[in-house]
Amino acid sequence: MIETILNDKQLFFGILGIIFLLSVFALAPVIAPQNPYNYGPDILNGIGENGHLLGTNKMGQDIFSMIIYGARTSLQVAVISALISGLIGIIIGGIAGFFGGIVDEILSEIINIFMMLPTFFLILLIISLFGNSIYNVMIVIGLTTWPRNAKLMRGEALSLRERTFVKAATAMGENKPQLLFKYIIPNGLFPVIANTTVGMANAILTEASLSFLGLGDPNIISWGQMIYEGKSYLTSAWWIAFFAGIAIVITVTIFYLLGDGLNHVMNPKHSVGKGV
Amino acid sequence: MKRYIGKRVLTGIITILIVFSINFVIINIAPGDPVKTLMGQETDDPELRAALEEKYGLDEPLPVQYLTYLKNALKGDLGISIIYNRPVIKMITEKLSATILLVLTSAILSLLIGTIMGIIAARKEDSIIDLIFSGFSYILNSVPSFWLGLLFIILFSTVLKILPTYGMTNVRTSYTGLAYVWDVIKHMVLPVSTLVLIQIPLYFRIAKSSVLQVINEDFILTLRATGMREKKIFNKYVFKNAILPTVTTFGISLAYLITGVVLIEIVFAWPGTGRLVLTAINQRDYPTLMGIYLIMSVSIAVMMMIIDILYAMLDPRIRY
Repeated sequence: MIETILNDKQLFFGILGIIFLLSVFALAPVIAPQNPYNYGPDILNGIGENGHLLGTNKMGQDIFSMIIYGARTSLQVAVISALISGLIGIIIGGIAGFFGGIVDEILSEIINIFMMLPTFFLILLIISLFGNSIYNVMIVIGLTTWPRNAKLMRGEALSLRERTFVKAATAMGENKPQLLFKYIIPNGLFPVIANTTVGMANAILTEASLSFLGLGDPNIISWGQMIYEGKSYLTSAWWIAFFAGIAIVITVTIFYLLGDGLNHVMNPKHSVGKGV
Repeated sequence: MKRYIGKRVLTGIITILIVFSINFVIINIAPGDPVKTLMGQETDDPELRAALEEKYGLDEPLPVQYLTYLKNALKGDLGISIIYNRPVIKMITEKLSATILLVLTSAILSLLIGTIMGIIAARKEDSIIDLIFSGFSYILNSVPSFWLGLLFIILFSTVLKILPTYGMTNVRTSYTGLAYVWDVIKHMVLPVSTLVLIQIPLYFRIAKSSVLQVINEDFILTLRATGMREKKIFNKYVFKNAILPTVTTFGISLAYLITGVVLIEIVFAWPGTGRLVLTAINQRDYPTLMGIYLIMSVSIAVMMMIIDILYAMLDPRIRY
């Protein structure tokens, strides 16, 4: 296990990065020099001015502290939306692959169709109609990004149901739902987990894009909203938008590294050329 | 082949129907009643309300309403904008040419640059060039497009004052002819560069991995054993086989661009559909937002259909 992690650079740095992000998440109040929800007297301070490491915005909020707290928002969005999308994908894909035949044909066609829909704009439409609370954002991202997970799970289920241990369980008289939830899904989970990691990266980017369009939750601090706000101060206070973007790039890269690393470990044969 | 095309066209039509259905469902389950959604939360004009109710048959049962809605939408009637009081379809088509200009230019440029980078990286695998290109593409993949655009603005509006960062033409002058074209090209440089940079990883990844895959196949080894020159093997055999997946990638990239361009247009104040989206969001102009969503989805569905059929023609092995 440890050897595998050390041998695959992407997996190694991915795991290291996740540990780093989780510590920022957990220790935010300790790391952040100020409470970013408090407005201060130092308005639009530059880098290092009055002890503000990365400056302040027009409300006098400390940019460095905002970035630390923004990590909480991004990770929450990533994890919750990925859980929803993973769960739906696993169930639909599992049923399609396990039952096969006409069920599979119909479900596969549905999966293909949903893969063709422009997800981002659908999310945008729903958020603007239903309100921009961060929970809505998480749920809608989860509800619209399941098809890829379903496709992967379906492939796994198709091959798993032919395996001897599943046949043995069938012979033992276990019924279909038992087979599906006890044998097929747990054994076919790994590709979905790897894909979900990439899905988390995309969820963070989606949340940022929504915030940039003014559809972010005004009650929380998020990197996307910092960029949105910083847009008006590009020439006078570039640090507001700049560092929030760097935070997004680092976090998303970490999730991509982890996803690619997990993929390599899962099918070492296919790793040629995939390490791009 | 005919069967495949027939099946693919059918899927395309179903996709479009599903898009319309999603729109219909959203209007009906959104908070507040549908008429309010369509005429704006603040207005309360009984005449307008009656007209809308009549048009969409809102006193009829839901299935009938759905059919009425479909009939209107298929005729190209996407409703009336709350803010501008004009047909949504007209407003969108007016802005479409500016958007298409950006989308196509950046799609073609990123296809060329990304694919060439991928081929170079694959042919010199593990060289320093490969490492630089791969790292560059990996990081770019994680960059939010709109933020990259903002970085360009910071750079070009404060440090390098050589390119315009705003709009499509210089409004203070009224160029005509060649001068006008040159002006538009100058304004296009930054938005197009942003979109191209964001798209490069997609093509780079596909080109690199498919070239590597073909190079490692047995028939290439055989050709090498016959003593054929490496250059000839590549031009005659590897390239043709490796370039195929790029066709599908081009479709995916166009689909991404059609929605992704909205953000970039907003960053650079490009007068395309992006501006329309932003005002529609800010003013809660739902008919316009929905109209844009419908047009985007339909064009993506049609495009994907064409790309899939094209791919099946190019590669006889593909039949779903």
